Amino acid sequence: MMTLLAAAASGDGILGPFGFSWPLFFAQVINFILVILVLKKFAFGPIQQMLEQRRARIVEGEEKLKRIEQQLADSEEQTAAAIAKANDEAKRLIEEARESAASLSEAKAQEAIDQAQQILTKAEAAARAERQQIAAELKKEFGHLVAATTAQVTGKVLNDEDKARINQEALAKVES
Amino acid sequence: MFSRRLTLSVLLAWLSSLAPALAAGGHALPLDAPRLSDYLPINNSMIAVWIGVGVIVLFCRAATKQMKLIPSGLQNVAEWLFESLYGFLEGLLGAHLTKRTFWFLGSTFFFIITVNYLALIPGVGTAGWEMLDKETGEVIGFTPLLRGGNADLNMTAAMALTFALLWFYWAISENGFKGFMAHIFAPKGDFGGIMLVLMVPVFLFVGVLEVISILIRPVALSFRLFGNIYGGEQTLEKLMLLMPNKYLHFLPALPFYFVELLVGFVQALVFTLLCAIFLKLICDHGDEEHH
Repeated sequence: MMTLLAAAASGDGILGPFGFSWPLFFAQVINFILVILVLKKFAFGPIQQMLEQRRARIVEGEEKLKRIEQQLADSEEQTAAAIAKANDEAKRLIEEARESAASLSEAKAQEAIDQAQQILTKAEAAARAERQQIAAELKKEFGHLVAATTAQVTGKVLNDEDKARINQEALAKVES
Repeated sequence: MFSRRLTLSVLLAWLSSLAPALAAGGHALPLDAPRLSDYLPINNSMIAVWIGVGVIVLFCRAATKQMKLIPSGLQNVAEWLFESLYGFLEGLLGAHLTKRTFWFLGSTFFFIITVNYLALIPGVGTAGWEMLDKETGEVIGFTPLLRGGNADLNMTAAMALTFALLWFYWAISENGFKGFMAHIFAPKGDFGGIMLVLMVPVFLFVGVLEVISILIRPVALSFRLFGNIYGGEQTLEKLMLLMPNKYLHFLPALPFYFVELLVGFVQALVFTLLCAIFLKLICDHGDEEHH
């Protein structure tokens, strides 16, 4: 290049026949630089800007997509964890309820047994009292009958003392 | 069967018309683009260049007039073109270097392809005036009104030089000056001891070759593009003159128009691709560090 340029500089030299000329060459260099600048500014600048803008949007969109996917995965993971936790909680609650129901049922049964026992005791007491009352009434009636029978058999009029004595003797014999 | 015969006949007729006509004369596109002013360094290829820039700017302005986030119509086309090239270069250079250099590489590609295709518009390079010798009145040359931008060595050399300067800037800013020099001259590989001592002069020599290669690159870039585009225009023009009947001038050149459409694209791609590869070669280590 330098040789050729030197040859050209020294006159038309090697390049002269091809139409090379220094003033035109420098003019074309300036011309070409202007061409490139004009094309950059007015032709390709806006297109490149739009493409870079679109590329940036695509990159941004992809990043957003990745973020959304990550969030979705996290969310699914969290949901699964929450569901698992809820399942565990529900199982625990059911177990507790079951245990609680069992213990309640036992307590209720015990209570029922106690109540039944009390009723039974009361019934027994009532029966015993009633029997004692009937026995007392029977004794009283029996005393009257024995006193009346004794009075009729002996023909004697019995006073209260005799009646009490005859009653006690008759009852002592019946009870023995 | 009939259509195949017809095609063959047309092809043969076309080829047979070339032989006598190849010897014919006629004006040709001059190697140097004529200056339009005695005071200012302006030539007709510069006018074509700015027409090309105007076309690109108008297209991009129309495409970006009502920019939408979801593109449609012309915006879609512009973005597709832009993104395709960006993706292609990104695959080659990596994300960091592409982002840093696309303003130049992308602009260069679209500029070259547009200017190349504009040069194929009928009239560009062919419509002009003949220069006559003032004394004899004979035709001594031809000046086209417009000339393909890349059919001017000054333009392609200017592009190559601009890239070379930017290449140094990017290479040094990516590697640091020490890293840049080490990249060229330092031994590559894991040498140690006596091997390192032996390898130093070898790699110094390789470095000198690398420097020569670096200096040759802009020349190769500029001459490759200029040669292909100028050669293509010259071919089309010469082929058009093959037909004696001026109304049929277009006929011999017609198939080559399709070739030139391909050449216009390929040369734009080759220039951009080579710039990207030269950049990748020097910034390779720097780019890996960035990753």
